[in-house]
Parts: sequence; structure tokens; C-alpha cells
Amino acid sequence: MTSDLPSPSPAYGIVPGPAPADPSSEFGVIAHGVQRRFGSVTAVAGIDLRARRGAVTALIGPNGSGKTTLMLMLAGLLAPDAGRILVGGHDPVTQNYSARSQVGWMPDVFGTWDSLTAREVLVTTGATYRMSPEHSRQRAAELLATVHLTDLADAPAHVLSRGQKQRLGLARALVHDPAVLILDEPANGLDPRSRIELRTLVRSLAARGTTVLVSSHILTELDEMADDAVFISRGRTVAQESVVEARVHHRTWRIKALTPEPLLGWLRSVNLPCAEHADGGLLIQIGGEEAAARLLRDAIVAGVPVVSMSPSGGALEQTYLSLDEDRR
Amino acid sequence: MSHPYPAAPATKPTPVGHPAQRPRGDWSLSWHGVRTVARLELTQRLRSTRWKVALGVWFLVVGAICLLISTTVTTNSTRSIETGPLMFGLNVMFILSMGLLVTPTLSSAAINGDRIAGTLAILQVTLLTSAEIAIGKVLAGWVASLAFLVISVPFILWSFLAGGVPVTAVLSTLVLVTLMLGVVSAISLGFSALVSKPTGSTVLSYLTVAALAFGTLIVFLLTLIPMTSTQQSSVLQASEWDATTGEVTACEVQFTQERVMHTERTWWLLAMNPYVVVADAAPGHETFDVMRLDPLSGIREGVRVARNGASEPSSSCPAEISGVEEQVPSTAPVWPLGLAINLLLGAGAIALTVRRLRIPQGKLTRGTRVA
Repeated sequence: MTSDLPSPSPAYGIVPGPAPADPSSEFGVIAHGVQRRFGSVTAVAGIDLRARRGAVTALIGPNGSGKTTLMLMLAGLLAPDAGRILVGGHDPVTQNYSARSQVGWMPDVFGTWDSLTAREVLVTTGATYRMSPEHSRQRAAELLATVHLTDLADAPAHVLSRGQKQRLGLARALVHDPAVLILDEPANGLDPRSRIELRTLVRSLAARGTTVLVSSHILTELDEMADDAVFISRGRTVAQESVVEARVHHRTWRIKALTPEPLLGWLRSVNLPCAEHADGGLLIQIGGEEAAARLLRDAIVAGVPVVSMSPSGGALEQTYLSLDEDRR
Repeated sequence: MSHPYPAAPATKPTPVGHPAQRPRGDWSLSWHGVRTVARLELTQRLRSTRWKVALGVWFLVVGAICLLISTTVTTNSTRSIETGPLMFGLNVMFILSMGLLVTPTLSSAAINGDRIAGTLAILQVTLLTSAEIAIGKVLAGWVASLAFLVISVPFILWSFLAGGVPVTAVLSTLVLVTLMLGVVSAISLGFSALVSKPTGSTVLSYLTVAALAFGTLIVFLLTLIPMTSTQQSSVLQASEWDATTGEVTACEVQFTQERVMHTERTWWLLAMNPYVVVADAAPGHETFDVMRLDPLSGIREGVRVARNGASEPSSSCPAEISGVEEQVPSTAPVWPLGLAINLLLGAGAIALTVRRLRIPQGKLTRGTRVA
């Protein structure tokens, strides 16, 4: 099994630990050379990705880059034209049923059984996963509390707002406690509080060993949620990196002082070029977090009245923009 | 605001959550899975308010027509006509017609409608097999169409009480109408899996029902012309009679020329007709009786005569002299064949649906989305 799935290229920035005997024990999702066409349109031209167990992997790409098609293949709905997929250790093409039992999938656009109540939606989903009625009911109650829909548990699903439906969809993907969770644009339509809760929920699922693959084009959101990131463009993997590393090596920082003059003067004295930021702060280019800490200490020692210093833009944003491939 | 960011609930180590069962194939069936799908479909349907209105309207319309049939038949009856079978027959034909009319709408959007609404893929990714989804959906459509039949049962019983109809006829009618509605449900489901637009599958379902109900008859009538031929035959006819008893004492060969219709080659067209299946199965008088005006036995006679097709010209020469036994037209029932053809059609439609629901999908039909 190891032979046909080569270890990730070092350029992708994943820190390759000691190679395990079976990659499927370390990675919940493995896609290798996956291709898919719809008629004459190539939706996925060659995607490689590995999502670690117990980690959140972000799938980042512009509209139409093949994210949803890839996720349909990972969920076992669509057969790839070429390439190999392993989800939870099972190939969705040859072992679809076993793969399905491992995956929780939340599609980007999905319908609800409109006349069912939120609770019934979850209990029915439990039944479709061959759970006993008591277990389904218990699980439904738990999940309704998790996504804060307990108050609306017995209202028909069609009265739910878009964001509430989205939360119900997330709960539905979790009913059978899947080992692999595939979330396609989960934050769409969510209010800020729900986004924070989504992040917390996803993090805690990953902490319990779930492999989470999440797609979004809101990069700041993924910054705080993801451990790894896979960038795709025009149906191809263009970069894969560790978010933690991206954060550590973050280059653009924003620094602000009470009055700009002493800061400007000090920066000039240490020979660091800077640019004005819209909010009155200054943007500087430095070599990552360690350099930032040193710079901040030196500035304070030099008597510059620094009020804030933070990475400018997200860690992922930098990589994303540097790819320069985005819009078609 | 004690817990602004709640953590995911800890899962208990219950083994039920992770279905570590043996993998099941696309065709494997469990009652649990079928029931889950059927219940989901029916719950959604039952909660729509139009349902009750539809059943109410149905009851009134069927009731009114049956009342009309019954009163017309009773007031216009002369003593020579048995009104019971006529009333029963007309009511059964009407209820079957209405059943055939309403059933396609109940199933013909079951797959493509769900696909458009985005609720099909979320069933497919679960541990339900394709067969369970297909059968569950057929069952739901079938049960829904049976609701209409159940509401019509009082009118069937009412015309039964007018007399002249054996109770077995009521039973066979109910059983066969039930089965035929099941077949129509299955065919409609098959089209909804085949075609991407619900309007398309609805039209195709109605066309198929029309083809079975009227098309078979039309094709049968059209083929009468090529099936007709002039047949020359030599038949023994009586030539001498005993003067006192009037019995035939001698026969001679006569050459006759007759136009015959070889309907024995085309009668099976009629056999697949749902009206024929229902009518033929109802037990009634097996002999032809001019004074009876009973649509069910009329159809039955007609089809059985057609099955016999071009028989030998009748001979007036008794068997003792000619040595040829008189051929008695077969009265074996036609409906088992018709029902078998229809059940095969239904089974084929379900098989097609299961194939269409299999994932992962390779080729997509034009205009469809996976999710």
C-alpha cells in the first residue's frame, strides 16, 4: 500500500514525522492523483492531499477550483476518473459502504426534509446509519444542544433560518460520530457567534481524533481553525502547508505606536523599511514570529511607545495571494 | 454566559454508533432500511396540507360518480338486466381509472425531485443501500396511492351489496387493483430515476399508463387488419337427416371460404391491459349471456375469445359421424399472464432505479447534479 502512495513532497511543507508502516493509520483522508471530468469540463485535474487524523485540514481555492467535486468524491458519491482515494482507510470506489460508514459529509448546498422537525431530521438520519431508535434519539438530543437548536427542536425545518439550517446540517453530518468529517463551506450563512462555535466544535472534534477536512474561501476563518492547508487551483493541488508553520514564518506585521514619529525614527535607525497602513500603523517585513518578538523587545527598550503589533492579514492569505493563480 | 464556546459532547463508548457491520452491497435489503425511507417519504407527504384536501375531493368525486352510475343503472333497469354486476363493474372500472390517474403523480418525482431539492445525496451517503432507497420510495408511493383506493372501498362494497356479484370478485378486484397501482408506482419511480426533470418523468409515466390502458387496445385493433386473412377450409357438414328423429345420419365435405382474424397472435396485447387484468380475475358467469350487461364479464369474454383466435369453422356434423371432437373454446384465465407482464415491468423499473442510485457515480446524466 505504501508503494503506490508516495510520501508528500517536502515542498508542501508538511513535517514528515517517522513514516508509519501504513499511511492510512496516520492520515484519515488520502487523495492521490485524483481526476474527474464532467463531459468536456475538467473539474479536478490532479489533486493530491493528505489530511492527518486528529487535525483540521483546510481546502482552499477560488470558486470553481474543484473543491466541491473533490469533496463529492471523498464522500463516496462520485467516482474519480483516475487516481486513488482512501477515506478512513477505505477506498470509496471499491469499498463504498465501508468508506461511507466512516464519513460525515456536510454539502455546500443541501436540502432539508422540510416538513420534518429538527429533531426528526436527526433521528431519521440516525436510522439511516442503522442506529437503534433509543441511540438515535439520545444522539439527536446531544447534537441539538451542541448546535444550539434545542429551542427549535420540534419546529418544522422549513421555519429555520439559513444559518440554523446550516447548523442542523452540521449536526446531521455528526450523527454517526464519523471518523472523517467533510465540511463544504460550513460557515456559509452563519452569524459571528455561530462561526466561533463552529470553530470550537471542529477543534474539539479534531482533538478527539476526527479527521476534519473543511473548505472555505474565508481565509481568516480557516487561519484560526486549521492545522494544515491545501491550496487548489484549476483542479490541481498547488501548495500544501502547515498553518502553524505559516504562522511562525509570517512575514508581514503591523506595528502601531502612540505617535508615529518615534517609531518611524527607530525603524529608520535599525534600517527596516516600512509602509503606511490605513489605520495609522506601519507595515514591516520581518522573518517570522521569533524576529517579531526580538523587534518588539528592542523597540520598547529603545523607548518607542508601541501599543500593538500583530501579523497583518492571515497566515493563509499570504500563501494564497502569493500563488497568483486564483481567478479564472 | 457560562459556556460561550461549548465543546463537542463526549461520545460514549457505545458500539452502536460506529456501524462496524459487514459491508452491504447495493442490492442488499433490510426491512429497517426500507421502512426508514418509506416512513421519511410518507411523513413528509402526510404533513403537507394538500394531502387531506386531495383525499377529501377524491372521496366526493368518486362518491358522486359511483352514485350517478348506480342511480342511472337502477332507474333504467328492466327486469331482464341484473343491475348488481353492472354497477359493480362500472364502479371498479372508474376507481381503477382514477387510481391509474393519481398514482404517477405520487412517485414520478421521487428521485429527480429529491435530487433537485438536494435531499437525495444526503440519503445516498448514509448506510442505506440503493435497493433500500428504491424500494422504500416505491413503497411510499404505493401506500399513498392505496390511501385513495381505501377511501374508494365503501363505494365498491356498496355496489357489491346491490347483489349479483360474488364476494370473491370484490376480493380479487381489490387485490389486483392494489397490485396494478404498485406496478404504476414502480414504473413512475423508474422514470424519475431515468429523467432529470420531474415534469419529464411525470409525462413519461402518464404516457406509459396510457400505453398500457389504451395503447394496447389501439395496437390490438390496428393489427386486426394484417391479422385478417381469407381462409379456405373443408369442413364436414351434415347432409342427410333421419326422417323421424331429425338426427344427422351422414355428412359430406363442404368447401368454405371465410375471413378469419388471427387474434391468437395478438391477444397478449390485451392481456397486459390493467383493465383486462382486473376484469379477467373477477369470477363471474363463465358462459356468455346476452341479457347480462356486465363490463367485467364483457371484457373477460372478449379477451378469451380473442385468445382462441381463428378457430375451425363450426361443423354441424356430430362427432359420432365425423370422428372429430368439437373444440370447446378455452376458458382458462388470462390475468396471470397479464399480471406477470406488469409485475415484470415494475420489477424492471425498480432494478433500473437501483442501478441509477448506485454510488459512486461514474457518468452523470446531462443536467443532473450529484448534490
